[in-house]
Amino acid sequence: MSESVLATLEGTGGPAEPLLRPGNGNCGGCGMSTALQFLGRAREARSIELVIPASCAAVAVGPFPYSALGVPTILTTFGSAAAVATGLSHAARLNGEGTRVVCWAGDGGTYDIGMASLSGAAERNEDILYVCYDNEIYGNTGGQRSSATPHGAATSNTLRGKVEQKKDILGIMAAHRIPYAASVSLAHPEDAIRKMRRALDMKGFRFLHVLAPCPTGWKSEPALGIELVRLAVRSGLFPVVEVIDGRRTTINVEPDFAEEALELYLSLQRRFQKSEIDAAALRPAIDRHWRDLRARSGRIVPADREG
Amino acid sequence: MSGQLLSANHAAAIGAALAGRANRTGRGFVSGVYPITPSTECMELLCNQEIEKGHVVRVESEHSAMAVCIGGAAGGARTFTTSSSNGLAFMAENVVAAALLRLPVVMVAANRTLGPPWNIWADHGDTLMLRDTGWIQMYCADNQEVLDTVLCAFRLAEDRRILLPALVCQEAFVLSHTMARTHVPTQDEVDRFLPPLDLPGRLVGTARIVGGLTVPQTTEVHRAQHHQAMGRFFEVYREVQDAFEAVFGRRPADPVVPYRADDADVLVVSMGTIGSTVERAVDVAREKGIRLGALRVRTFRPFPAELLAAAFRGRPRIAVIDRNVSLGFGGVLWGEARGLADPGAVVQGYMIGIGGGDVRPEHVLALAEDVASRQAAGAPVLMEAGA
Amino acid sequence: MGVTETGRASIPEEIPLPLEVRVHGRGGQGGVTCAKLIATIYAEQGLHVQTFGDYGSERTGAPIRAFARVDTVPIRNHNKVYRPHHLVVLDAALLGDDVLDGAEPGAVVLLNTARGLEPFADRHGRFRFAAVDATAIARRHGIGTSAVVIINTTLAGAYARAMGLPWEAVERAFAVQGLARDLPAAREAWDAVVSRAADEGEAAPVRRAVPAPNVIGIAEHVEDLPNPLRTGSWRTQMPLYLSHAAPCNAGCPAGNDVVGFVQALATGGVEAAARVLFRTQPLPSVCGRVCPAPCMSACNRGAYDGAVHIRGLERWIGDHVDAEGVRPPRAANPRRVAVVGSGPAGLGAAFALASLGHDVEIFEGESCLGGVLRTGIPAYRLPEEVLDRDIGRILALGVTARTGTFLDAAAIADLAATRDAVIVAAGLQRLTGLEAPGVLLPGVLQGIRFLDDVKRGAAPRLAGHVVVAGGGNTAVDCARTALRLGAASVTIAYRRGRKEMPAIGPEVDEAVAEGVKLALHRQPVRVLGEGRVQSLELAEVELGEPDASGRRRPVVTGRTAAIPCDALLLALGQAADLSIVPALPNLFTAGDMATGDGTVTHALGSGRRAAARVLASLDGEPDPVLPRPDLDSLVAPAHVRFSHFHVEPPHAERHRIGAHALGFDEVNRGLDGPSEASRCFSCGACTHCDTCMLYCPEGVIHRVGQGYRVDEAFCKGCGMCVAECPRRAMAMVQEASAR
Repeated sequence: MSESVLATLEGTGGPAEPLLRPGNGNCGGCGMSTALQFLGRAREARSIELVIPASCAAVAVGPFPYSALGVPTILTTFGSAAAVATGLSHAARLNGEGTRVVCWAGDGGTYDIGMASLSGAAERNEDILYVCYDNEIYGNTGGQRSSATPHGAATSNTLRGKVEQKKDILGIMAAHRIPYAASVSLAHPEDAIRKMRRALDMKGFRFLHVLAPCPTGWKSEPALGIELVRLAVRSGLFPVVEVIDGRRTTINVEPDFAEEALELYLSLQRRFQKSEIDAAALRPAIDRHWRDLRARSGRIVPADREG
Repeated sequence: MSGQLLSANHAAAIGAALAGRANRTGRGFVSGVYPITPSTECMELLCNQEIEKGHVVRVESEHSAMAVCIGGAAGGARTFTTSSSNGLAFMAENVVAAALLRLPVVMVAANRTLGPPWNIWADHGDTLMLRDTGWIQMYCADNQEVLDTVLCAFRLAEDRRILLPALVCQEAFVLSHTMARTHVPTQDEVDRFLPPLDLPGRLVGTARIVGGLTVPQTTEVHRAQHHQAMGRFFEVYREVQDAFEAVFGRRPADPVVPYRADDADVLVVSMGTIGSTVERAVDVAREKGIRLGALRVRTFRPFPAELLAAAFRGRPRIAVIDRNVSLGFGGVLWGEARGLADPGAVVQGYMIGIGGGDVRPEHVLALAEDVASRQAAGAPVLMEAGA
Repeated sequence: MGVTETGRASIPEEIPLPLEVRVHGRGGQGGVTCAKLIATIYAEQGLHVQTFGDYGSERTGAPIRAFARVDTVPIRNHNKVYRPHHLVVLDAALLGDDVLDGAEPGAVVLLNTARGLEPFADRHGRFRFAAVDATAIARRHGIGTSAVVIINTTLAGAYARAMGLPWEAVERAFAVQGLARDLPAAREAWDAVVSRAADEGEAAPVRRAVPAPNVIGIAEHVEDLPNPLRTGSWRTQMPLYLSHAAPCNAGCPAGNDVVGFVQALATGGVEAAARVLFRTQPLPSVCGRVCPAPCMSACNRGAYDGAVHIRGLERWIGDHVDAEGVRPPRAANPRRVAVVGSGPAGLGAAFALASLGHDVEIFEGESCLGGVLRTGIPAYRLPEEVLDRDIGRILALGVTARTGTFLDAAAIADLAATRDAVIVAAGLQRLTGLEAPGVLLPGVLQGIRFLDDVKRGAAPRLAGHVVVAGGGNTAVDCARTALRLGAASVTIAYRRGRKEMPAIGPEVDEAVAEGVKLALHRQPVRVLGEGRVQSLELAEVELGEPDASGRRRPVVTGRTAAIPCDALLLALGQAADLSIVPALPNLFTAGDMATGDGTVTHALGSGRRAAARVLASLDGEPDPVLPRPDLDSLVAPAHVRFSHFHVEPPHAERHRIGAHALGFDEVNRGLDGPSEASRCFSCGACTHCDTCMLYCPEGVIHRVGQGYRVDEAFCKGCGMCVAECPRRAMAMVQEASAR
């Protein structure tokens, strides 16, 4: 297997300048950085404008007038990404430009404070690609819980671990019946780049949910971020799916639901230590979610176990 | 006199639509709107206008309405929205953002009392809450002024020497829902008055950042530049007045509008429609031989301190009317104007028409009489106008 | 705390009061907490303190500052510290004008550095310096992650010692801040910190003028200005492209570069693969058929979806390579070496020496070269023409063959007198017999002789029931040959189980498929017959306690049963006859004579090592030590990112199997193509798969020629590339804490 993984991810759009350039301010091993690199590969030569609400991504660009991002970018107030993107997208459309307006928002800016503007833009089916890089924490403010923080994870304001469950953001977005909603695993680059490219080229409101490891907030080894995503997918904790028009659900990666994957996922992150949450405690919620997913996908039998 | 019978809300919407169409040779017109009484009719009419190369987006909140304008402006489009009261309060974060990003958004506010308790009637407290956000603020006294000021606001905001958002204020119901004969210019006239927007820093092509982080020394410079842009307003405004007059045949009012002020023993200073009420009271007083005069502050930000100081010179008694209360202080306009009078002059603050109370000439005459009787200014007076 | 003046308490006189402390560090090192700890130490002495951080926008690794003030009266100054008495520098690489700004001569500078005091004291002698390798200490104590080591607590311990503060105050401060678990690291730093007095009489540093900012207006900003931040300075460790030993390579007794030839086959084709293989392997077609392939047992892919069929690929290369052996240039100092015996060890030694341009003569008692390959391996496994082709390539290197020349000990001694050296690789001459009554009956044969006879066309036609005793390759070869000669039934009697049989697994499978029966856990104990063997008594064997080798010792029971037997072939092993090897300084042994490992691949390796020993000895050098990878540098399954590879079961070789196919044509037709090579993980050897580039969060890995370059100016040292490398072709190395 000496074939270049990058060669297999190439499309037809030709090369582009990197989206996230060296000299950015993100922590080493930041999953959001890798996700931006992925989006850069997916976009190739497509014209992009980025809309970034208050977040680590906004800080990563560096001090004015410099920018670590290789495309035109506007930083917005925390809850406004989808609405600012709406304005940009209309300006582009009025002028017949093929520019893709891409929101790049964290989980706080998406699940919480940005939810209203996100929901509004989705309902209006604005021509926007909205990417939520979900590091399951308010990283930029130093690590507080968000509604994306998983049950059991300790944060700076839930010291003994969060009691509540993580929101099903993909379900919420799919329920807007938008043309495309998908979850993206950085550990599955082919699927990830395919989805990004597909989402870039569709019209209307597209939503991508990227699980973005945060070594600082998750209290994990920076090098192990992709492995953590892999474990989250394998264990069923992070389903990799896509939903077309809010109706057709496809499961893209079939987990093996391995207990050891879930246990390893928990043990590699010190944020789960305080609550002493274990795989057995998480399993019922994972199973419930998967029953729902299977029902929605019309496949009661896992994709790879069919005749 | 020609003209249509229009509410100020509709006059504002028509002005916005004309301005929007005028940018069809530029990058078009983008507006985000959200209803709130009493600015709703403005956004309704705008939504029902045909605007060539223009989109009006019916968003889910005032916060997003301004955000759409920010996005549209960053994309180089002419942008407009309208709101009021709590809508402005909810929008405030993005109001700040539009100004600090130096985006020439134009907004019409129907001045309404903040709640709860809910009160839909006139009060300047909502837009004055946004005093320090870095927007141009202009207050109107009649429907024609609303339409004209909207057109001027676009030209001012988009001028390269300024590049700031502009807020056009008109009082709830007193103007917003009051029909009056209003001259509506032709599209051709507006096209001649308003050149297409060419925003130097719009987001297109080049990889660059709008809204990047700043450190203290950068912020110091940016605030200074913002402040200096405000300072260039009066010079640019005179050019706008000339241009407006050349195209439309009428001259927009000055930043400070004097009325029989030159020889006044008592000067009454106010903003918005109260200013025209004051002018009626001046006429009544003059008939009685009382030398009353008036100043209407039309441009509140930038604050016309030099113009006011000049107008105050030699005036021993000055009454400042505020349709707002800065709670724990007094009227906002009074607070800013009181230091501009001659040494020893009496500058007395009166807060009246709070929560929409109808300010009538007799209220003005009463407070004029009060200030005339004073040897020194006292604490600001909160007057009850009643219904 | 009330607004009261306190005394100096027990703090040393050298510490000025009011005291101003400035901490310089990088985001993630814990500089703010370090300042807080220092302040707490003084607060615990009853003094008034103040501490705060100076927060920037950047993340982990970016320079940050923190401050502490100490006084006997409440502190009213809320400015940052501009004239520090104490500077605590969490990363010595930060030490520059920014850090030293405002410090007066005699100020104390505590550095975290692995380089000690000297490099700094020479340049900045006006300060009193203290130094400790806090990064190493904190890393040892597991504080932080491997990429971001948190050293605040460690350095606080060093600070207290350097300033002469009591250890008890440190303990109390750590308790107050809830950091007691880091006390052991602080104590280690307390013990390790070294310091040096300031030089006298140097002037205060000139304060730098702050350059006026040239600030672009918000509305005027239209240019693309990449962020000039050089994030490489944040790094504490650095990725390197570094090969590691693949288990197949480590497991190959012949020393073949398995990964090398398989990857060459996958990417460059047969000729490229052969060039790699021929560095060590003279008999690819032979080994590609008869090698037990320890490389495949070791293959990391085995645990995933089946080992790469390395043997089959080796055979493919040997069978398909066009290259004739090219005669190498003569050695600078050519040696004349005789090789006695032309089995795999002799051939391996001859090949190794001839490849280096030395003169080699092979002496072989038989009429053809090949030794046991020729005589002991049936043609259906190893056709003669295959052996001839491999040997032909060796002879093409210029090796002289003297066949039909049997040499005894005296002849070998004579040879040694006229040659620079002699390598004796005569194989195993002594055959192990069966200690059982009746073994002398006609019909009881040594299996290896039987196989030899068959190859010479001198074998008896076998009929009736044949029993083979043994479990190695010879036993299986005997059994399958017996079937081919017409035996009605063939049974292999072996004293251990199927798994314990030393024969190549698939060979046993094929034998069974052809009709050979296995009598496992059975040992012949008596040969019965009138005039010739007619039946055989087999005893059941149980497995007892493990012996020294770890294998369970077979215990022959009294439970016996007789089976019909018309011929008994003994394949119980062989031993060397060392009496033919005289003791002479220029005489060396190789192959089974030397090692007794009994496989072609071991013999080849032994031959090659013997050649190396010969040359070293003739050059007066010590025995060469062939590199053996240490266990740490081996690629273990845990190092392989299995998820990188699609599940793809191994390609099978094509076999003509079954009673209908019995004959001496080759049974195994090999792989039907070289595509199996693409299954190789290439453990430890970069394939330029670009995974490192794909996952680098910074996008700072670039292709350069046949490899990659990591941009050191920007790499933050997160280690993602190394962790995601599918095959451990990279490693992280720690950078010294003072660059």
